[in-house]
Amino acid sequence: MNNEQSLRLELEGIVKAFPGVLANDDISFSIKKGEIHALLGENGAGKSTLVKMIYGIMKPDEGTISWNGKPMNIANPKAARALGIGMVFQHFSLFEAMTVLENIALGMDEKMSKKALEEKVVNIMQKYGLSLDPKRIVSTLGVGERQRIEIVRALLLNPKLLIMDEPTSVLTPQEVAQLFNVLRQLSSDGCSILYISHKLDEIKELCDSATILRGGKVVATCDPKKETAKTMAAMMIGTSLQAINKVKSKEFSDIGFSVNNLSLRGAGDFGVSLKDISFDVYRGEILGIAGVAGNGQNELQLVLSGEILLKDKAKITMNNIEIGKMSAKERRKHGLCAVPEERHGHAAVPEFSLNDNAILTARNRQNMVRAGMINAKSAKQFTTKIIDEFNVMTTGHGASASSLSGGNLQKFIMGREILQVPDVLVVSQPTWGVDAGAASAIHQALIDLAKGGAAIVIISQDLDELLELCDSLAIINEGTLSQKQKVGVMSIEEIGLLMGGVHGENSSVSSSQKEVMAQ
Amino acid sequence: MQIRFEKKLEPSRKMLFATPILVVVLTMILGAIVFSILGYDGLGAVREIFLTPLTNSLKWQDLAVKAAPLIIIGVGLSIGYRANVWNIGAEGQYIAGGLAATGMALLTHNMSGWYLLPLMGVAGMLGGMAWVFLPALLRTKLKVNEILTSLMLTYVAIQLLNYLIFGPWKSPTAFGQPQTVLFNDWQILPYIIKGTIVQAGAPIAVLIAIMAWIIMSKSVFGFQVRTVGSAPNAARYGGFSENKTIWLVLLISGGLAGLAGMLEVAGPFNRMVPQFPTSYGFTAIIVAFLGRLHPIGVLIAGVVLAITFVGGEIAQTTIGLPNAAVGLFQAMMLFLLLAGDVLVRYNIKIVRARRA
Repeated sequence: MNNEQSLRLELEGIVKAFPGVLANDDISFSIKKGEIHALLGENGAGKSTLVKMIYGIMKPDEGTISWNGKPMNIANPKAARALGIGMVFQHFSLFEAMTVLENIALGMDEKMSKKALEEKVVNIMQKYGLSLDPKRIVSTLGVGERQRIEIVRALLLNPKLLIMDEPTSVLTPQEVAQLFNVLRQLSSDGCSILYISHKLDEIKELCDSATILRGGKVVATCDPKKETAKTMAAMMIGTSLQAINKVKSKEFSDIGFSVNNLSLRGAGDFGVSLKDISFDVYRGEILGIAGVAGNGQNELQLVLSGEILLKDKAKITMNNIEIGKMSAKERRKHGLCAVPEERHGHAAVPEFSLNDNAILTARNRQNMVRAGMINAKSAKQFTTKIIDEFNVMTTGHGASASSLSGGNLQKFIMGREILQVPDVLVVSQPTWGVDAGAASAIHQALIDLAKGGAAIVIISQDLDELLELCDSLAIINEGTLSQKQKVGVMSIEEIGLLMGGVHGENSSVSSSQKEVMAQ
Repeated sequence: MQIRFEKKLEPSRKMLFATPILVVVLTMILGAIVFSILGYDGLGAVREIFLTPLTNSLKWQDLAVKAAPLIIIGVGLSIGYRANVWNIGAEGQYIAGGLAATGMALLTHNMSGWYLLPLMGVAGMLGGMAWVFLPALLRTKLKVNEILTSLMLTYVAIQLLNYLIFGPWKSPTAFGQPQTVLFNDWQILPYIIKGTIVQAGAPIAVLIAIMAWIIMSKSVFGFQVRTVGSAPNAARYGGFSENKTIWLVLLISGGLAGLAGMLEVAGPFNRMVPQFPTSYGFTAIIVAFLGRLHPIGVLIAGVVLAITFVGGEIAQTTIGLPNAAVGLFQAMMLFLLLAGDVLVRYNIKIVRARRA
């Protein structure tokens, strides 16, 4: 705080409470002009709430927000944009069926002719090296390209502060590198950047300073270049990470689960089709399926768990039984359990009690059903076992699933499936939104399950998680699955390229050229 | 100024139970005001409609007679509504059940034996189920909204009823009256309390409500229905087929409405007549909601709505209230209930417009 004039944004004593939680508790920090400032914290640390107040979506209960040294009352996002605050959200708000330019035009506060806008957009793209064809239809674009639309949208306003909310969570390593170049260039032009993330390596690489939040409070402000990823992680998480106990380089012999030339037409206009997917998972093996979101992971999860049925039963086999035509219930009876990505309304019914949510998937394997009637006692026993063994924070087995925090519910769901001791487990995003301590407990439980002879498939966008946990890895892109390889054989660059697939830089340029030629 | 509805984290359980009671009280107050403004004795109307049927013990048997079909149909509907399946055409299924039972009665008119009534009961249920077959098929195969198809089929049922009793089923001995012959003694429900008009329908209704309660709260089927209604994706993940559930709940609600039709035609009517459609099937929708889609709630709500029917008849003779008044009270009850539910489940905030 040496020079008041050089401060772009200053927060002092920000407090925001929601029913039952204090999301932000007396938060103070400042961002200098041209500084790239990281806001670091686990899910639920209060990052999103804080950013929403800076962008005018919410109002703080207490505290002041100063802009260029003057206290401000930012009433709404429009007012924030007028001040020069831009934001790129984690989830994009784009119309799939419209072009890049039309989408940008829709988000503009001031009216502008199409031609003038296009000129401006092209200028910005050239200045910052953002390659993107303004006439492309959004549904044909990859995630990285979609994010560029949002960035262009924000840059059109000539922002003095750009807020980036978890921008790299959906990007390939190459796309991340490009993004960082753009952000560095912006910063050298004097635009401050508030960079929200929980990826420590990125913050070390990119940011000039970092404010670390935990439980709604600022625990530290530091220079990430002087810290190690470990020390920042310790500050972010509060407790030291438990090392995963995994036996490296195992040999497997029995195939537990296999998928043979599986193809499936995607539902609707934007559904992803699965194309000729084949893989085997040995008993005791953990196979990771990596990929950028929206490349067929959901469809694959549903086909494997039995929520979408196949016409040919031989396409999926487990323990030499053909299960392609079996419902989720029958597959579970044969020993295949699954956890879909979405917790609320899919893996669990929010308004049901934990007891009922245990009945949802465990009723047959845990003997909760006798003559069509539910045995309340065995349901309660199993629920209590999940709560105890997976350390679920709750008031008891009768609490509704919606009363649990996201991470706690995930622990419950993972516990529910793992404690059924399946022969095959198919999981999407096993530790999504779970704090690091609980994540390592879930990882350990998965490793122990595999040790007991289960074949496990983990579909995740978190590459670090997959590299740490899995014996082998395959990459899904546009519904096609790469060859399975042992973890450690593939380099990060190779994985990144596979994840990018045809979404990668070279091919997107060539396909947009094709479009121009077609016109 | 702007009014905003914010969903409550968890609605108060007390209020969930208290609203139906508050709704009945509020209906009485508003009804008194409305009929006073219309120039009737408002307080008297409310007294006759809601209190006289309870205080006059002679009217209790009427309550039992009217409540039975409302409860039986209401229980069936509430099971479907729990699964988010909106069968609005119970009236048509009720008529179809009555017709099927009548057909069976005419077919077996020369026979005698205890088995005739059960046979008519089965025919009634099958008739009701037949009337939901088309809505169920269209909903599961083509995603056609069952609200429309089930409702429209009601009018088909009424036309079928008229055709049959004006035509092939017309009694030769009724001097041209459009009605069937009287059923024989084995085809008429027995009276269960001597000296009253209470027939077997009433205990059957209570039995069905209790059975439904046990099934909905303790069985896998009940769990399946609740899961499909609350979270269809979670239901599929749990291994429940949505289409199978839709078929089952529609067949159950249609079958129960058909059974109610059989119990009416073999009970109070003793034959099929043009006055058979008494809109029990529509009133049962109110019963299902007022009873909070819970079988025991439906049991109580069925009695409440029966009170308004019986009370309406009393008020017609004592203070000359038009017959439509009962419909007005019943509709008011449904609207107040739906409005009350919004207040229980949401917080309402008035936000003043802010200028940026």
